[in-house]
Amino acid sequence: MTDIQHKAFLFDATRCIDCRACMVACSVENKIDMDKTRIWVAGVGLIGQYPELKRASMVYHCMHCNEPDCLSACPVGAYSKRNDGPVLYNKDKCIGCRYCMNACPFGVPHFDWDKGLIDGAFIDKCTMCPQRIDKGLEPACVATCPTDALVFGERADLVKEAHARIQAHPERYVDHVYGEFENGGTSYLILSHVPFAELGLPNLGERPVKDVSEKVMEITIPFALGWGTVLTGTAVAVHLLNQKKAAKAKKVEEEQTEEAVK
Amino acid sequence: MPNTLSRRDFLKVGGAAVGALALSEFIPPRVAEAARVSGLLDSTSSGYIPTMCEMCVWRCGVLAKVEDGRVVKLEGNPGHPHSNGNLCPRGQSGLMNTYDPDRVLTPLIRVGKRGEGKFRKASWEEALDVVAKNMLKIKDKYGAEAMIFSSTHNLSQVQFENLLNAFGSPNYGTQRSLCFNAMIVSNLMTYGMEEPDRSYENLKYIILTGRNLMEAISTSETSALSKAIDRGAKVVSLDPRFTKTAAKSTEWLAIRPGTDSAFHLALLNVIISEGLYNAGFVANSTTGFDKVAASVVSYTPEWAAAITEIPAETIRRIAREFAAAAPYALAHNGWRTSNFVNSFQTERAIGVLNAIVGNWGTAMSAASGEESGGLGAPPQPAYPRISAQRLDGVPWKYPFVPLKIGVFQELREAALSGDPYQPHGWFIARQNPAMSLPDRGRTLQAFGKMDFIVTIDIIMNDTSWFSDVVLPEASYLERYDPLNIVGDKAYLRQPVIEAQGEGKSALWIYKELGARLGLADFFQYTDEEDYLKQQLAPLGVSLDEVRQKGYAQLPGESGESPELNWNTPSGKIELFSSSLDRAGFSGVPQWEEPPAPKPGQFYFLTGKVAQSTQFGTQNNQLLHKYSDEPRLWMNTAIAKGLGLADNDLVEVASTAGKIHIKLEATQAIRPDCVYLTPGYGHLSKGLTTAYGWGASDSDVHVTYTDPISGSQALSQTFVTVKKI
Amino acid sequence: MKMQIAINRRLQVSPLVAVLLTLMGIAFVVAMVRYIYGIGAISNLSNSYPWGFWISFDLFTGVAISSGGFLMAATVYIFELKQFKPLLRPSILTAFLGYIMVVIALLVDLGHPERIWYMMIHMNPTSVLLEIGICVMTYLTVLAIEFAPVVFEGIKWQKFAHFIHRFIMPFVILGVVLSTLHQSSLGSLLLIQPAKLYPLWWTPILPILFFVSAVSIGLSMIILESSLSARYFHRGLETHLLEKLAGVIPIVVGTYLIIRFAQLGLAGDYKYLFSSGLMSVLFWTEILVGSVFPLVYFSFRKNRQSANGLLFGAIVVLLGMILNRFDVSWFAVRHPDPLTYLPTFMSGAHYVPSLPEVAVSLGIFSAGILAFGLAAKYLPVFEEEEPHAEKL
Repeated sequence: MTDIQHKAFLFDATRCIDCRACMVACSVENKIDMDKTRIWVAGVGLIGQYPELKRASMVYHCMHCNEPDCLSACPVGAYSKRNDGPVLYNKDKCIGCRYCMNACPFGVPHFDWDKGLIDGAFIDKCTMCPQRIDKGLEPACVATCPTDALVFGERADLVKEAHARIQAHPERYVDHVYGEFENGGTSYLILSHVPFAELGLPNLGERPVKDVSEKVMEITIPFALGWGTVLTGTAVAVHLLNQKKAAKAKKVEEEQTEEAVK
Repeated sequence: MPNTLSRRDFLKVGGAAVGALALSEFIPPRVAEAARVSGLLDSTSSGYIPTMCEMCVWRCGVLAKVEDGRVVKLEGNPGHPHSNGNLCPRGQSGLMNTYDPDRVLTPLIRVGKRGEGKFRKASWEEALDVVAKNMLKIKDKYGAEAMIFSSTHNLSQVQFENLLNAFGSPNYGTQRSLCFNAMIVSNLMTYGMEEPDRSYENLKYIILTGRNLMEAISTSETSALSKAIDRGAKVVSLDPRFTKTAAKSTEWLAIRPGTDSAFHLALLNVIISEGLYNAGFVANSTTGFDKVAASVVSYTPEWAAAITEIPAETIRRIAREFAAAAPYALAHNGWRTSNFVNSFQTERAIGVLNAIVGNWGTAMSAASGEESGGLGAPPQPAYPRISAQRLDGVPWKYPFVPLKIGVFQELREAALSGDPYQPHGWFIARQNPAMSLPDRGRTLQAFGKMDFIVTIDIIMNDTSWFSDVVLPEASYLERYDPLNIVGDKAYLRQPVIEAQGEGKSALWIYKELGARLGLADFFQYTDEEDYLKQQLAPLGVSLDEVRQKGYAQLPGESGESPELNWNTPSGKIELFSSSLDRAGFSGVPQWEEPPAPKPGQFYFLTGKVAQSTQFGTQNNQLLHKYSDEPRLWMNTAIAKGLGLADNDLVEVASTAGKIHIKLEATQAIRPDCVYLTPGYGHLSKGLTTAYGWGASDSDVHVTYTDPISGSQALSQTFVTVKKI
Repeated sequence: MKMQIAINRRLQVSPLVAVLLTLMGIAFVVAMVRYIYGIGAISNLSNSYPWGFWISFDLFTGVAISSGGFLMAATVYIFELKQFKPLLRPSILTAFLGYIMVVIALLVDLGHPERIWYMMIHMNPTSVLLEIGICVMTYLTVLAIEFAPVVFEGIKWQKFAHFIHRFIMPFVILGVVLSTLHQSSLGSLLLIQPAKLYPLWWTPILPILFFVSAVSIGLSMIILESSLSARYFHRGLETHLLEKLAGVIPIVVGTYLIIRFAQLGLAGDYKYLFSSGLMSVLFWTEILVGSVFPLVYFSFRKNRQSANGLLFGAIVVLLGMILNRFDVSWFAVRHPDPLTYLPTFMSGAHYVPSLPEVAVSLGIFSAGILAFGLAAKYLPVFEEEEPHAEKL
């Protein structure tokens, strides 16, 4: 799974100073409305009692899953995953059902609650700045980060880099790279000094959450055909049985009538 | 100030409005055309233009992305040593200062009462005539010294100073006494320079005394500290609050406010008594070691423990660790988290500490400074002789404070008392004393004593709100400024878009005003580009080339800095300052007991957040969007004891005044302190984003001035907090 | 005749009808506000709660209570249990109206209702929601066909009625298949939330549980709707038929209980049964009310034979099972951002439906009741007996 060849982010919570330059950069780069955002701070903030304190916060945006659940869930195929990493959303196909928001285990896609039919209410989420990475630039959030808490590169390299950082300072990190395997692997890899739950990250298995529902969908059509056949068979059988019964009853009746006549 | 643009959409709308304006006036787009000629923009007026940030005074290099005559994004310039390709949130949001719907786009002349906010639009001709007429009237009636000139650290300040010197007033106010006078005067006394350069490259040990670098971001320095931490450097953070810097530090010491100098004196005690100092460096490069050694004998860790509430063992350990890590160790100059009248002594102790362990040349080096560096300047006649005393007491009351720095709060006090004389006019450029000076009530009273107030700014700041004339400046993305020297390069701030409305550069405003004041000879440049060409003349570089690269290479000593050279009377690092001694102050750093809050009172602390700079960025919608609501921090346990909960509205009262603010119960502060992010609680209703948000620390701050450095003791305000 | 209907309608508006019409009017106004100013303008839905009352009530509950249609169609046509014929048409009508209500509600809930047909042209085969959408749309057509004879009889086009009747079987089978699929798929819809849905509810066999419980809901719904229409339209109640249906309920809910607890046991989730606070309370409420109670209650013939007993039992089953639908789609779903502390406009992890939200659902429900009443009054829905509706 680590040999997936595409771009990814590596976020290091020990480096993040919660300055929010990434958020401003994203808002400007992507011309996000003043009351919306594609990127936010998650985490419990302060942990502990004065004076034994820690700070737990992370920059949160789309994880760009290797196997995106939003993409699986969307009834009209408005999501796509580019070969080089970005999970993209196409507003021209969207019907506004918001199933993707339910599907995403990270709660990433968000919706234009304030837009009516004329403005058009759509989903929005981080795009990995394709307009920048196509030109060889880093995504806006990464480019501006003053402490290199966010870096961008080939996923395979970043996985190595993440493990190297843990090895270099085992006392500093939780010995785990979140997103290396979580939910089928994500393109947003996270290093932390506090348990990942305290950064607001869900506890996920190695298979994406869409796994079961996709398996169920795979057997749906065969099941429908089979079930249709069974029902047809039953209907025919019942009908024949009833006809036979009716015929028998008729026969009995006729015999009785005959007997009576006799 | 009509504001018909909706907040949400205005990133989009702004462009249309600017476009419409440009079209309607049929002015050829000079900026875009020039940029096209120099190859920065393509035929659709799109591309990147190198310039310089002005969201704080760090001045990061930026690459402004321009599309069709609009700046759409700012990137850190990878080639600039202050940004290294990164920008902080303020830098990123800079274009929202330019596209702020609250921008003042024409000169304004007051029509209502002061503070009513009623202005009428005026032409530049009329506005400048009114300003010149009033200034000359005051000069004729009371003398030039009756005009106060104040301006905050900025690149056109050289021409601001030119204006005030030519006008003939000694009364020059900067914001520095509200910020770091203690540090600067201490460094001048110890090292003979305002602020030695710091290098984090190989540091193993860093003591931060109230230096909140992770929130008070100076991009490259913050970045360097972060990298040092990544590398494994040990960082000790002294701060009554668990700041974001403390969170990144190896060790956080929640020191009692006002006692930093006791901590550092105890470090000196341990290092000297245990012989851990660098004897060779001390002998060769410093003077007065013996006097210091004798004076710190009584400052034992046990003594300091009782004062600072930091265990003696911890102090002793840190002293040993620090000395062991030297010369790759740095005790960083404090800034202002706990500023007291004894802060000068703290700064001196830190200066001495760095010196005796021999950190010079590794962690610290001679400041490269911002002096002319071989640049040219327009010719000008000699300034008139000024005989009047300065109102702020420099140097007659504050002999050690440099003239260019001054003691700003004393200026205001003089305006109120009329002692030594009464000022009658106030010329304010890009400064907001209504927010920055402590005890706002007194500042507003001082405004009332003025016959005439004129301000220059890009928005209707709180001081402009009380002005008679407001002159609209072009924003930093719309104008040229004089070159800025960093290292061996002179960096350029150049316009990346046309100035909106009738905004003009400070260079233009001072020149035009100078002409009307009969001082045209002092402003011998035809326009901004001519000014820059005169600056560049000795270098033999064309302005076009500089515009394209964003900087000019300076000649001379590149790389290696000259001999260790301290501009002190002895030519060495002065551990003992004979100048201070002669003036009747202690020549060695010493403990001075600061006042402490009475029972029921709290230390009132202020500090920095990464999403605002001082008092000028709160109206930036992007920063507003990503800022936390300013609330009064109080330790959770104390709040509980007082029956206060998160978001309760409380009254915070000092002898200066009171404010109402929401409470934030937090573990991240000492129980005897409360904290408020400064810069909020704006008075100007012309700031539609910031108005009504938070409360102003300056309503509560009490004015105390350090007699040596002139520094305002910002943390020496004690408050009571009660629920309302 | 139609003219007459119109005139009569206007002349005699009973209090009930007046209330229904008012509720419909309010819902219409709210819907208009929603279309102009956005869903946020009238609802408390948020990025933390993208789905709320409409999905739980109109979609999950609406589809479940419409399951009587396919059950009766299967009983009468496939199993040829002709004695249940009197229940067939009301059930088909209930289902038909039920699904129309679902679709109308979705047209309010969808961000782009005008694009609902995109499901036909941009199909994503891995999407459970696509399957549900296609099934519901197709099944609605099937129900229209199944109900068409009633309409044709009503307007005396007997030929058409007979024509459709002759070819009804394929549609009945298709309807049963579609119903099986989407009744269970509503459960599959939540399979994608293993990290969000509380473990007492999330299981890979959610579709099976949904189907089984839909059967119990459908049976209860037929009992409820027959009982109520008998009361309102003053016609005789087919108690003997309903008794038989009620007799099936203990078998269905018994099966449901066995599957559900076996699954929880196999998944090792018994630890959550009593230790999950509110979640435990919700779980036991739906289990006790929706399954354990009917298992016991309908096992007593006395309860199945009394009109009041049937009505009471059916209502209790429905309450319990509908609570299950609300739990699965709302109450037991934990959204991921209570830890998010910035920016505030992204959070809001608490959700209580707003009054306008509920008003939309009530309005649509009122329209359904009104339509049922009109159909019952003017169409031969209750085949065996002539409707003697005196008031509506």
